Amino acid sequence: MFSNKLDRLIWRRHRKLMAVIGGITLLGTVMMTLILLHTLKQISGSDIQIVSGSIHKWQVYRGSYFTAYSWWLIFAFWLGGLEIMHLDLRDHFNEFLFSSGFSRLKVYWAKLRIALGTLLGMSVVIIAIQYLLYWLSKPAGTTFTLAWPGLITSWAMGLAISIGMFSLSWFAALIVGQTGSLIVTISGFTFSLVGLSGIGGNILSGSWLKVSKAALPWVGAGTWLVSAVVLFIWGAALYQHLSLEHNGEYLLFPRLRVPVYIVFVVYVTWLYSYDADGMTMAVAFILAALFGYGWLWRPRLGEKWHQWRESKQAKE
Amino acid sequence: MTLSVAGLSKEIGGRQIIQEITFEWAPGEILGLVGRNGVGKTTLFRSMMHHYVPEAGHVTVDGQDIQQVPSRQQQLFFIDTQYNFLSNYRLWELPDFFKAVYPRFDEQRFTALLAEFKLDRNSQYRRLSKGMRALVNLVLALTSNATYIILDEPFDGLDVIVRENIASMVIDEVADQQKGFLISSHDLNELDGLSDRVLLLKDSKLVRDYNLEDIRAKAKKIQLVLNDRVIPTVLKEHSQLIRVSGRVLVVVITDYTPEIDRALKDLNPVLFEELPLTLEDLFRANLAHETGYQLMK
Repeated sequence: MFSNKLDRLIWRRHRKLMAVIGGITLLGTVMMTLILLHTLKQISGSDIQIVSGSIHKWQVYRGSYFTAYSWWLIFAFWLGGLEIMHLDLRDHFNEFLFSSGFSRLKVYWAKLRIALGTLLGMSVVIIAIQYLLYWLSKPAGTTFTLAWPGLITSWAMGLAISIGMFSLSWFAALIVGQTGSLIVTISGFTFSLVGLSGIGGNILSGSWLKVSKAALPWVGAGTWLVSAVVLFIWGAALYQHLSLEHNGEYLLFPRLRVPVYIVFVVYVTWLYSYDADGMTMAVAFILAALFGYGWLWRPRLGEKWHQWRESKQAKE
Repeated sequence: MTLSVAGLSKEIGGRQIIQEITFEWAPGEILGLVGRNGVGKTTLFRSMMHHYVPEAGHVTVDGQDIQQVPSRQQQLFFIDTQYNFLSNYRLWELPDFFKAVYPRFDEQRFTALLAEFKLDRNSQYRRLSKGMRALVNLVLALTSNATYIILDEPFDGLDVIVRENIASMVIDEVADQQKGFLISSHDLNELDGLSDRVLLLKDSKLVRDYNLEDIRAKAKKIQLVLNDRVIPTVLKEHSQLIRVSGRVLVVVITDYTPEIDRALKDLNPVLFEELPLTLEDLFRANLAHETGYQLMK
């Protein structure tokens, strides 16, 4: 299947979990499809179009009964990035890779290549199964008509978001060394993107930048792809300096602590106080600063308080 | 063919764990690495294998830095006994990984050795006992056919029979001068009769690099019973007392010369018998003060 030994090694290591991700995604997509098909069966009448006419336009297709690019696929990419980067750290496969005789850069790009390649292949298969299911199970009296403009646009946009999501979880898993904290961090950040996309849309379509509504999704897709490329290249640089004595610590690169803190405080303050008054901004800033400090430095405040109380009692 | 470690230093959490470690290692040699628990033996191995990125220093194989020419790393074998990926796999699956990394990995021998040690190839690594895991690690080390094999406390948890098996296998492996072993231990008895050279780690530094053959050529361990109860000057000046049992003295003389031999025989001892010299005796006699060896026990 793979011509070189490194690719074979990485595939051997991750094939089972990739299959699990594929299985979950397929199950989720099939379930969603069956639910939508069931809904269609409940609707009385005939000549119902499962796919609306907007599929003929060069825009992302959004319909009530059909999704051209399943959200489950975006989830699969997100999970795939997390899996392939974090599990090698957690299960100590990095130790083996780092002394395998392949340069770290080669290892990094091979992992990325195999993960993205597998996820892309998985997407093609799952999309094909999803469409086939619609085709075979469509209720009597309904029609299922597809058109390239809507499909290609939806796929392109879906892939851009998927690759962006992959890069986020991949990069987070590269710099965070604790499983639970990593999941909380990346989940929190991913959910915050909903708010960010709203604010970003307002800024882009505002009076200053004046980006048209039709162009907004493309700017979004471009932003995802550029961010992904930046994170992949930055990740490659960091991966070469990954020293495994930090395994199990929140940040695998202690020098990133202050930059991460600054970015976190600025991002959270901005997200919560965008378009708000000065007081809201001040409160958001203080809360973000305190939470960020507690999260990144993990001061043992409780322990210190007990020590202080005990020493005070001893003196008395 | 030589592996050189030059000026390797590693700091963890603001503490210097190893400092400017420098030594050379050639195929055919069995190097012992001794030092107290926590002195940095495993950190040295992890830094050599680049699991830890060292602050300074480098490892070269035949003059080529393994960071510049990573393929040279395939000549080194090390399984971290504490942190390794093997836990989730069954033994029959392991060659898939090692074949990809070690070009001369011998799968047939791997299977044969598993059978020889009565290790079930369908067992999961994590379900094995500590001793069985140590055996699997050794089997992987031997069948990797890497030139430089690092074993970290390989005898830990093994019974005497298996220990002897392993020791004889290691000796057999180096016989053709194609492989070298670097074996760490906090117990000198484990390395006795196995190591040619002993590296001693103390206070994060490599304080000694002993060639045991040279030391053994000059040293003697003698059991003697003297007529007098007073310990003679020759023994006070030249020997290290290992054991006293009634009137029986066991001493080690690290630089045994004909003059000392004559002086001892002039004392007309009731008993004068040469005993086999162990590594532990040598360390007790020669190095105890400077290495803190007694603290190791």
